[in-house]
Amino acid sequence: MRRLAATAAALVALAIGAAPAATQQTAPAPTISPGVLTVALDLPSEGFQVGAVAGSQVVFARGFEVDLARSVARRMGLRATFVNSASFGDVVAPGPKPWDVAFAQVSILSGRRAAIDYTIPYLQVDQGVLLRRGLGPTPRTLAALARLKLCVQATTTGAAVVARTVRPATRARAYADVTALIQALSTGRCDAVVYDAPSLAVLRSEVPRRVGPMAGVIPTAERYGGVTADGSRLTPALNVALRGLLDDGTVTALTTKWLSIDVSALKPLR
Amino acid sequence: VTHRRRRVAVVCLVAAAAAIVLAGPAAAATRVTFVQGEQNATVARPGDGLADAVAALMAGPTAAERTAQIRSYIPPRTQVRSVSQAGTVATIDLGSRFVAGTDSDALLARLSQVVATATAVPGVRSVRVLIQGGVPLGLFPGINATVPLTTRALRTPDVARPRPTPERRTPATRGTRGAQQRLADLGYLLPSGVDGQPGPATTTAVIAFQKWEGLQRDGVLGPATLARLRTATRPTARTRGGSGRRAEVLIDRQLVLAIRDNRVVRALHVSTGKPSTPTPVGSFSVYAQFPRWWSTPFREWLLWASPFVGGVAMHQFPDVPVYAASHGCVRVPEANARWLFRFISVGDPVRVLAASR
Repeated sequence: MRRLAATAAALVALAIGAAPAATQQTAPAPTISPGVLTVALDLPSEGFQVGAVAGSQVVFARGFEVDLARSVARRMGLRATFVNSASFGDVVAPGPKPWDVAFAQVSILSGRRAAIDYTIPYLQVDQGVLLRRGLGPTPRTLAALARLKLCVQATTTGAAVVARTVRPATRARAYADVTALIQALSTGRCDAVVYDAPSLAVLRSEVPRRVGPMAGVIPTAERYGGVTADGSRLTPALNVALRGLLDDGTVTALTTKWLSIDVSALKPLR
Repeated sequence: VTHRRRRVAVVCLVAAAAAIVLAGPAAAATRVTFVQGEQNATVARPGDGLADAVAALMAGPTAAERTAQIRSYIPPRTQVRSVSQAGTVATIDLGSRFVAGTDSDALLARLSQVVATATAVPGVRSVRVLIQGGVPLGLFPGINATVPLTTRALRTPDVARPRPTPERRTPATRGTRGAQQRLADLGYLLPSGVDGQPGPATTTAVIAFQKWEGLQRDGVLGPATLARLRTATRPTARTRGGSGRRAEVLIDRQLVLAIRDNRVVRALHVSTGKPSTPTPVGSFSVYAQFPRWWSTPFREWLLWASPFVGGVAMHQFPDVPVYAASHGCVRVPEANARWLFRFISVGDPVRVLAASR
């Protein structure tokens, strides 16, 4: 409670532009390295996070979640450093974490709560359906989608949605990462891919001539949250920082900067 | 036919490259790759070895090369952190400026420059590109840069070949037919396009007409356009040439005039190089023709391509706005690209004019 109050005071100070003073007044957050917020990423994901890694160290990164993490750290009076998770599975696996928080497009699922903690959500997304170039009639229903050669990234929400909701005639091909997934789509090995809608929209805007149109979204209304180790004492401070960024429009501004594609205009497939 | 044409083109390219190399200094030379239009362009520089080649690449094209619209997509002042070689694999560690910006065309083009330049060094077969000492993840759209890259891989198409857009039938109207007949009489539309149905062929013909006449370029048969159609005359060639076929590219009007025996057969709506990558002005001739041409730097298919200098070609493109928008090429809409490809032949003159009025 006291930490909350202190952080709230810090927010007020930040708002009037006295950030250094605020840092001094805030009780040091219990991070792994003093003064540093160690943030785990799961590179790459277009729009959200791309960069360069040396071992597990992220030496260069940019994207929505990278800017978000930096803003969170600044609000907490900390400096952000980034590490790359070996896999998405590692981020959500139980056990101690070599980082303070992960921002890696992790959907808040009640089933995972036994293993990890979540921050408050910072983004709500649906699954998108991106078609290959030159595909015949655009599928408008889940039944039409089920007749296509579908591809997903393994262990993602997209993979789960295809298996549970779309139930294609032939099993969806699963790829290890999104680069391989989009490669398969642009070479025509897949008719359509199912993946987080904002990412697909960003990807399409980057390489518009390599892929076809978005067919629509499969509404899942997942909410992305930061991941902390189970029982982490840092979570309340992270939440205060995130709440501040949501309330003052920072998150919306970052969405516009990095994910400036209007996925709300896409029709839901049912 | 495709194979023979391709061979002709390869011979021309090799000859051009040889000419450039021969023109360079007699001392040890490296080959450095930039971009001209839609393809990589290789030039000679003094020095030898990987480090010299990378340094020359970062230094960019000379003033003379820039005049010929040979350019580098590598941001100025990009830091070279280290260059090394182990066996046949070169490792080039670059500062984060190398991945500045989010324009995927520019990111892919600069990557192709580094890979082509390094693999031109004897003994180097592939290149590992590092950013700030790290392996790039997702920084080059569509390219897996976690492994050493080869020129051969970049030259290999990984995008499905575009297919013709299916034609949509729309109801014919008498007004449209009348306007189409005028457009055909004036050389903007093929006689076969006079079918009474509005569509892309008519729209591009209307835009070409509006461009020539200095009207608003909206592709719509509005009152001003219809009024001018009644009194307009066929466009005329801007320069005098010999008998036979040739083309004029009019940059100010964003038009191509297809000319036979000094008479304009057709005036076509095109989009030339945008201000940062303009189409080179001058007298050239078509040196090859490719029904399908893979752009190595930009990783995309160019259909019905007639290059006339380096990687600068007249070619079909899905996106042909009414203004200059290309990497230096002359983009032709699908409705006219194949016609132009068949009209013009290898050896035919192409004159690019900045001002046509």
